[in-house]
Amino acid sequence: MGAALKSPLRQSASEEQALEEFHARGWTDGLPVVIPTPERVERMLLAGGLDADLVLGEVGPSYAAASIEKVAVNAVMAGCLPDYFPVVIAAVRAVCEETFDLGVVQSTTHALAPVIIVNGPARAACGIASGWGALGPGHRANASIGRALRLVMTNIGGAQPGVTDMAVLGQPGKFTCCLGEAEELSPYAPLHVSRGLAAEQSAVTVVGVESPHSVIASPDGDDPEGPERIVRVIAGAIANAGSNSTYGGRGTTLVALNPNHARMVARRYATREALQQRLHELAVTPKSLLAQWAGASGRQVKNPASDEVVHAIAAPEKVVIVVAGGEGIYSAVFNTWGGGQHHVLPATREIALNEFCELPADRQAAKTKG
Amino acid sequence: MRDGVFAARKGLPAVAVLTEEFRVQGEFIAKAVGMPGVPRVIIEHPCAGTGSANLERVARELAPRLIAALQEGHS
Repeated sequence: MGAALKSPLRQSASEEQALEEFHARGWTDGLPVVIPTPERVERMLLAGGLDADLVLGEVGPSYAAASIEKVAVNAVMAGCLPDYFPVVIAAVRAVCEETFDLGVVQSTTHALAPVIIVNGPARAACGIASGWGALGPGHRANASIGRALRLVMTNIGGAQPGVTDMAVLGQPGKFTCCLGEAEELSPYAPLHVSRGLAAEQSAVTVVGVESPHSVIASPDGDDPEGPERIVRVIAGAIANAGSNSTYGGRGTTLVALNPNHARMVARRYATREALQQRLHELAVTPKSLLAQWAGASGRQVKNPASDEVVHAIAAPEKVVIVVAGGEGIYSAVFNTWGGGQHHVLPATREIALNEFCELPADRQAAKTKG
Repeated sequence: MRDGVFAARKGLPAVAVLTEEFRVQGEFIAKAVGMPGVPRVIIEHPCAGTGSANLERVARELAPRLIAALQEGHS
């Protein structure tokens, strides 16, 4: 095996030595990687079922071509099982959409990272967690798929901290950030359906945002205003003093509702669109208050004494809502940046699950838990 | 740097202004977007938030360097 691969083959005396070379060359995220031997890369390629030379897009800020083979190398390094590769392919395609502004997402001083949201049958096929701790450790598919995208962004896109990636602090989501939507527990149509795909299709949606900010809401179930109280708390977490969008939102905010909150909120806001509209209305800051913070944000407020408010969500469609997590009193808000030519528009791409070639017999044995 | 390249691509005289901390990133971006020779001027870091008196000094020192870079780019 290996003769068909285009990537240059390097020799090392051992995997340990190879790993040290990978670290020394800046090809890792700082954690150990699986060494991408030709055999491992070819198995990944078989799972994608696409020509190794096919280019998925150009990865900013280097704008180097992301060929299937190069992406497979990074998926191996990230620890992906071959079954996950179609999800990685879709995620790379999504971040390479021109309107996602990946070049500046990767170079800004802000702490942006793509959150990968998976919908449809691919969640079960790959074992992608959507429930308790979906964004935390312990979920192999979530961890390695998000990490594969990060390694693509590092090794193909050329993002290196303090050199080309100028994030002042960065954030843990820049290691990996992937979850499934808890469609079965959601009162809303699946996210990918709201973005134009069919329920039986699988898809990834990428949203370029900050790290999650926990939102506590524990209203009395008998309180008729309970749903509205949850929405108001979420809106308050969006329009806060430290968020870029508070000063005039142009980016897209992500809200992750846990299923319990989602069901309560849906009693008043029965559709995603209704909830998006209400969050747009409520996530506002009076100019009089904004004026107290605005100098620190580098922005000025016109007519600071007026009764006007500034919307942190410029339009209802500028907030993406996903249902995920365990049942509880915490949801999360991922605030946003607002820069970039297209203000980092979310992107949704279908996951082609049926393109794979049959792998050797141990394929099933290697499958992760569901 | 990216803005400088985009302006130059539109046929506008362009000089990118970068602070020292962004010099290496700027070189990378210029190469990546296919215009490694786009004129650039490097200034001190930081500038933002250093007060109007300092910004005025930076601007006064920058202006002749910008003009020189523009003239060099069109010579």
